Amino acid sequence: AGPEAVDGLQRLHLSVAATKYPRKLDGKFVEQLQTVLCSPKSPEQIQVLCAAILREMSPCNDLVLSCDEIQDTKLLSLVSSVLLAQGSRGEVAAVGQRVVQGLERRLPEGQSARFLLPVLANVISLSPGSLTEEQTNVVSKKLADWLRYASIQQGMAQPSGGFFSSPRTKQPAPITEVDGAVATDFFTVLSVAQHYTQDQWLNVQAFSMLRNWLLCYGGPGTSCPEKLWLPHPWKSTPGRLLPPRERLRDKAFAYCQRLVEQSTRRPLKKEDGDLQKACLIEAVTIMDIICKQDSSYVCRAVSCLKILHSRICGDATYARALLPIAQLFLNHSKQAAVDSDAIYKHLFSDIPALLFHNPSLAFEFVQFCKDNSQLFTDSSSIFRQSFPNLFKFLAWNSPALISEFVDLLPFLLDPGTATEIFHLLLDLPCLTAALDIQLRAAALPVSEKAGADPAGKPATCLEAFHHPLYRSMFQYLLRSRAAPEDAPDSLVPLRQLLGSLAGSPRVVQCAETVPVLLELFFRVVAEFADGSLINQLVVLLLQRSDQLYDIPAFKEDVYRVLGSNLAMLCGLRPALVVELSTEILEFSGAVSNIQSKEAIFTHMAWAVGEFLSVSHDKRCTVEQITRFFETLEAVLFEITQLRPQASTPSCAPRAISVLMATLTKLAARSQDLIPRVSMFLSKMRTFVQSPAVTSVYCEEDLEEILIRATELMNLLKMPSVAQFVFTPPVASTRFQKEVNDSLPLALRMVTQLLEPAAGSMPV
Amino acid sequence: MVRAFVLLAPGGPAPCRVLYARTFGTPPGAGPGGPRQRLRRKEQLLVVARQVASQCQLLQASLGRPSSPQLPQLPDEPVSLQDAPGGVFQMSPGDPFPERVTVVWLSVLALAFALVCEPQENLSLAEITLRRLAPRLLLSLRLLGPGADVLLRPDAADGLLDRLLPHGQMLFLNERFLQAVDRELGLKVSR
Repeated sequence: AGPEAVDGLQRLHLSVAATKYPRKLDGKFVEQLQTVLCSPKSPEQIQVLCAAILREMSPCNDLVLSCDEIQDTKLLSLVSSVLLAQGSRGEVAAVGQRVVQGLERRLPEGQSARFLLPVLANVISLSPGSLTEEQTNVVSKKLADWLRYASIQQGMAQPSGGFFSSPRTKQPAPITEVDGAVATDFFTVLSVAQHYTQDQWLNVQAFSMLRNWLLCYGGPGTSCPEKLWLPHPWKSTPGRLLPPRERLRDKAFAYCQRLVEQSTRRPLKKEDGDLQKACLIEAVTIMDIICKQDSSYVCRAVSCLKILHSRICGDATYARALLPIAQLFLNHSKQAAVDSDAIYKHLFSDIPALLFHNPSLAFEFVQFCKDNSQLFTDSSSIFRQSFPNLFKFLAWNSPALISEFVDLLPFLLDPGTATEIFHLLLDLPCLTAALDIQLRAAALPVSEKAGADPAGKPATCLEAFHHPLYRSMFQYLLRSRAAPEDAPDSLVPLRQLLGSLAGSPRVVQCAETVPVLLELFFRVVAEFADGSLINQLVVLLLQRSDQLYDIPAFKEDVYRVLGSNLAMLCGLRPALVVELSTEILEFSGAVSNIQSKEAIFTHMAWAVGEFLSVSHDKRCTVEQITRFFETLEAVLFEITQLRPQASTPSCAPRAISVLMATLTKLAARSQDLIPRVSMFLSKMRTFVQSPAVTSVYCEEDLEEILIRATELMNLLKMPSVAQFVFTPPVASTRFQKEVNDSLPLALRMVTQLLEPAAGSMPV
Repeated sequence: MVRAFVLLAPGGPAPCRVLYARTFGTPPGAGPGGPRQRLRRKEQLLVVARQVASQCQLLQASLGRPSSPQLPQLPDEPVSLQDAPGGVFQMSPGDPFPERVTVVWLSVLALAFALVCEPQENLSLAEITLRRLAPRLLLSLRLLGPGADVLLRPDAADGLLDRLLPHGQMLFLNERFLQAVDRELGLKVSR
C-alpha cells in the first residue's frame, strides 16, 4: 500500500463513477475492498477511497460488510455510509441499532460519539421506524444532557509537546458569547472558545439534529407511521424527574430561548452574524414544533417571540426570521388569545416592497404563502389584499419563482380580484422595469434626487420616477395593496417611458412567464366567473390588446393566449356577442387589428360566426347580423384586393379563411345576404391567381383559401342545409359538441355530394 | 437533512457536466433495486445539475454578467464569495425525486455547487454550508488550476463533506468551530 495504491483506487473510482451504466467488478475484488475498508491497519485515505468505490457501486450484491464488530467510531461512520447507500430497510435498521448501542455504552478510550450522531440522523431520515421506543428514550435522554450540560469552560489545545505547553497548570478560560462577553449561562452553538471539548462538540451535533429528532420522536402522532405512540400516563410535575421525551422537550425549549437571546448580540466576527440568523430561524421552528407537541409551551413561546419581533422587525437583515415567527403565531396565537395582526401586517405590507430583490427571502416568502394557502381564501384579509406586493417577488426573480406562482395564483383569484390581477399580469414586465428604477433611485445620493425639473419633461426613466407627470403612475404600479378604484386612467405614458428597459434581461425573463400565468388565469377564472365578470374581461381584453409593453415576442405570445381564451369566454357565454356588440364591432372593423393582432382578431371573428344567432340569444336581430356582416365584409374586401397597395395590410391566410366562413355563417342565418357572399366567394379564384397576391402568399395557403371558398359557396347553394350546418342547436351534450367539432368534415361531405366529379370547380 | 451534494460545471454554450456528486443514503423501498437503482440515482443528479445550470445562466444574464466567466490567472488566488451568485428553487414530487426537494445553489467562476435538501430544511443554514464548502473544495481539489483533478480525488471531497456535512447533516458551526474543523483537516483557509 502506498501512493500507487491510492492512485489505483482513485482511477478505479473514476471509471466506476464516470458512467451511469453498471460496471461489473469481480466479486472477490469487491470482497477485498470491504476487507481493506474494515482493516484497522489501512491508512485512512485508502479506507475513504474503498468506501467511495463501494458507495458508487451501490446497491451491491456482494456486500458482506457489517458494522457489528467495528469499535472505531470514525470507521463505523464510514462503513455506515456504505450500508445506508444500499436502500435496504434491514441494513438501515441494523446501522441504527449499532449506533444506539455505541451511544448507550461507554466508548473505548480515544473514541468520540461525535461521529455517531450524524449517522443516527441519517438513519431516522431514511427510515423513521428503525428504532424501538426504548432506544429512542436512551437517545432522547442523552440529547437532553448534551444540550443542557456541556462544559462552560473552554477546551484545551492539543498538547504539542515542548517546554511551553503545560496544560495542567493553565486554568481553562470560560466560554464567551459572540460579542465577546463572558457567558453566564449554558453552552450553545453560539458559544465561543479557542478550543472545544468533546461534549461541546456533542452539543453542536445534538442541536443540529434536534429538529428532525423532535419531528420524528418528539410527540404522539408525529411523522412515524410505523410506530404507535401511546400517550404517557403521567403529566410533568415540577421537582419530579421527567420522562425522557418530556425532559428533552424541556431542555430543547430552554436552549431555543437562550438562542433567541444570543442571536441579537452584535458579533465580533461578521460571519457569525449569518449563523446567528440561521440559529434564530431554527430555534423558532423548533419552538413551533414543541408547541404543537405540548400546548403548555405556547404562552412562553408567544411572549418570548413578541419581544423578539419588536426587536428585529426594523432590521432588514433579520427579515427571513420573521417568517417562522409569523408561522408560529398563525399556528398557536388563537390559543394564546394574542392579537398578532400587527405582525402579519408588517410582514405582508412592508417586507416584500423592501426586499423583493433578495432571492432567498423571495423564495421563502412564497413558500410561506403556499404553506398557508388557506389564509388567502378570506378576501378581506391582509394576506389576500397584498397580492400586488407578492407579485414583486415574481417580477424580479422570475425563473426561480414561476413554478411556485403557478401553484399560488389560484388562491389569489376570486371575483373581487380577477380584473385587477388581469391587468397586473399583463403589466408584470413593466413592474420589473419599475422595480429596477425604484432600486436605482433609492441608491442615488440625496442631491441628485431633487434635480428633476418639474416643468419640463424628464430625460430619463430615473428622472421620471419623482416627476409629477409620472409619479402617481409609478406609485400605482408599485402599490402594496389591492386598489381597484385607484387605477389611473391610463398607464400608457408610463409604459412608453419604460420602453427603454424593454430589452433588459430581467424584464425579458419576466415577460416569458406571463403567457403561462395568463393561461392559468383564464382557466381558473372560467370556473367561477359569472356573466358580468366574463363580459368585463372580454371588454378589458380587447382594450388591453392595444396597451401592452412593447416587447415583440411578449406581445405575440400574449395575443396568442388572449385570442384562444377570448374564444373560450365566448363559448362560456355566447350572449356576450350580442351584449358587447359595440365593442366587438369596433374591434373587428379596424383593419389594422387583423395585421397587428391576428390571433385575437381571428378568434373574435370565429366567435361572431359561431355565436351571433337567435339560438344563442333571443335578442339577436336581423339588423345586428347585417351590421356585423357589413363590418366584416368591409375588412375582408380590404385585405383581398386584387392589386394590393402598399397600405394594404398583409395578413395570415387563416384570417381570410375564418372571415369567409364567418360571413357564410351569418348569411345562412339571414338569407338576404347570401347573394352578396356568394358573389364575394366566387371572386376568390381571381384573387388567389392575381400575380401581386401570389408573390405575398405561398401556394399551399392560396390553394387552401380557394378550396375553402368553394366549399362555402357550394354550401350556400343549399340554404336550408347551410342553416342546419351552421346553426346547430346549442351544444349541451357531448354528442352535439362533437357535431360542432366535425364542421370541416361536414363541409367536405356536402361538397362531395354536390360535385360527384372531383376536380370540377365552378368559374 | 441534505439528500445530495453536487459539484458541476454549468457550461454556457457547452452542456453542463457533473464533476462530483454524493448522495447521503438511499431511502429504502423507494423504487427498483439493483443496477436500475444506481442508474436512477445518476440520472436524478443529472437532472438537478441541468436545472442548476439553467438557473445559473439565467441569473448571470439578468445580472448582466457573461455566462462563462474566466478562471483567474493564478490558481492560488483567494476567491471572493462576496458577489457569488446563487439561488434556491424547488423541484416537484416525481421530477426527479419521489418527494419534493429544495435545491440551494451557489456559483463560483465556472463552477456551481448545489445542495439537494428535504422540504422544510433550514435554507439559511444550507446557504452558509455551501459558502463554507465552496472555497474549501476549490482549495483542496485545486479546482481553479488546469486539469480534471476533482474527478481523480474523491477522497479529498469526501473528507471535506465528512466534516462539514457528515451524512448530509448540516452543522451549526460558528467561526471558532469552523477554525477547529480546518485545523483537523489541515486546511489553511484565507479569512
